[in-house]
This record gives sequence, structure tokens and C-alpha cells, in this order.
Amino acid sequence: MHEIAIVNHLFEIINEVSKKENLSKISQVNFLLGEMQQIVPEIFRFAFESAAENTIAQNAILNIEIVSIKGQCNSCNKICDVKKVFYCSFCGSKDLNIINGNELIIKSIEGE
Amino acid sequence: MRNVLDKNQDKADDIRQLLKQNQVVMFNFISSPGAGKTSLLELLCENLAPEYNIGIIEGDAYTDRDARRLIKYNLPIIQINTEGGCHLDSNSISGALAEFDLNKLDVVFVENVGNLICPTAFDLGENYCIALTSTTEGDDKPTKYPMLFRKADSIILNKIDLIPYTNFNINSFKADLQKLGVNIPLFEISCMQQAGINNVLDWFKVIIESK
Repeated sequence: MHEIAIVNHLFEIINEVSKKENLSKISQVNFLLGEMQQIVPEIFRFAFESAAENTIAQNAILNIEIVSIKGQCNSCNKICDVKKVFYCSFCGSKDLNIINGNELIIKSIEGE
Repeated sequence: MRNVLDKNQDKADDIRQLLKQNQVVMFNFISSPGAGKTSLLELLCENLAPEYNIGIIEGDAYTDRDARRLIKYNLPIIQINTEGGCHLDSNSISGALAEFDLNKLDVVFVENVGNLICPTAFDLGENYCIALTSTTEGDDKPTKYPMLFRKADSIILNKIDLIPYTNFNINSFKADLQKLGVNIPLFEISCMQQAGINNVLDWFKVIIESK
């Protein structure tokens, strides 16, 4: 349900950027969504479209790029995919530093 | 490239700074509804209030029922109603902290809104996050909510007295935590029976003493 809250934060940034860049219409928002965040893309998109109504972002395309979870092993230093088990898939170490999967990042905002 | 929660993060960092200046340690309690957050807070207040000055921030979607349960301890309590919102954020905590006389406090306990997903995305500026779960919810919570258990600094498993009446398997619970690479203190307690609470109290005391 925090999809709505995240979208509200997203719109704060959209408004800030559009003022700064003097944009009157937002056409596309490119968003990186990490799998760890447990955000449902469909709900996120629905929340975005609802929030965009009657704003400069109405009809803007929300492009969601899902970022899978990756960890860097502190023992063997290799980078591995993390699927449910947070172990290094190369050496079996549990000492993993999660380097991808937590993203809630606006990659870019397009408009005119 | 910009993190959507930048502003929340900035405010959370300010809060940590403010807490440090005032030598206050803040704990964020996250659990599902009904796991026993308020019961745990009752236990903590009962046992820690004689030694430490405690402030409480109560997050709740609509009511002040939890706060009213804690009034008997005569501690400063700030109620935050999120009006249906599923989590607290650093902005609401910042407002609540401003109502305390932080100089006079050692500890702030924050009871988040009952939810295992949303609160984990929002740093409140706390020093420690506690994942509270209970045996009646099932032993699959670590697998279903990895972000919470990886974020937490300790896990409190409540309602262990009810294990005989559930299919909760403590070994699979622990094995699932292992799979998440989670290696933090796990306390098995029953708030109702006051079982296993000494270890929990000691954990809090050591942290508060070393602030």
C-alpha cells in the first residue's frame, strides 16, 4: 500500500523538476524499481496514473524498470544474483552486501 | 538519477543527529497488527521506566487506543494518526520529537503502524529497528518479508506460550532467517506470560547504557 506514498514523493520531485526546468508537460518518467522494495508494479502504475490526473503529468508514460536483487560477496568479492537465499552462489558465504534491489530511483523525467 | 525517498532520508539523518546531540536512543518497532507491539511496550515501560526516561511515539492509522494503554506509566506520549496511511515517515517523527523535551529523555520508543512491508521502506532516523513477530502468524514471515528481517537489528518472537496450539515450527523459522543471511539477536518471549523477557530487557539496557 505504500505505493501511493512513494508516488506522492515521486510527484514532489516531478513538480520540483518541472518548475526548475520550466516544463509545462511531462511526457515520460523512467523509474528504477528494486525487487527488495516489495512494490507491486501494477498498483504503483495505477497510483501514478491516478495522481497524474489533471496535472502536467496527465497521460505521461511511466516506464518501470525492475531491478533484480544482486549481492557482492565480502569473502570472494564476486557479484551474484540473489533468489530467496541470501548466500553467495559462488562460495556459499552469507556475508553478502546487497548492491542492487533496493532502488526507488527516478532515472529521468522527460517533458517540454 | 534521484532517489524518490531522498527527502525522507535527509530528514531521517537530521533526526539521528538531533538524537545524538541529546544523547537519546530511538527504537522503531515494526510488526503486523496484533503481534504484540503495545504489549511489548507495556513490558518495556514497566521494567525500564524506573531507571530511564522514556518517550513514546505511537503510530496508528486512526485511533489512540494503544496510547491510552500506556498512559498509566505517566510518560510523555505523542500520538500520530496516519489517517489510513500504512507507515510512519521521518517527517511525522520529526514533528513528534519536537514536542518532547529531548534533554530530559534517554530513550524514544516508536510504535510503527502494524504492517510488515511499508514501514521498512521509510527510515525514521531510528538507531535500532526491532522486528516483532508472533507464533500465531506462522513461521513463514522471514521468507515472505525479507526486507524487514534484513533491516532489523533484533527480532522478538512473541506468544511462544501459544506454540502448542499452532503449527509454528521454530526450527523452520530459524532456518529461514539463516537463508536471509540474518545473524542478529532473536528473543523468544511471551508478553502475556512474561516469559523470556529478561534477555530482551538486558539487550535494551546495554544499548541505552552505551548511548
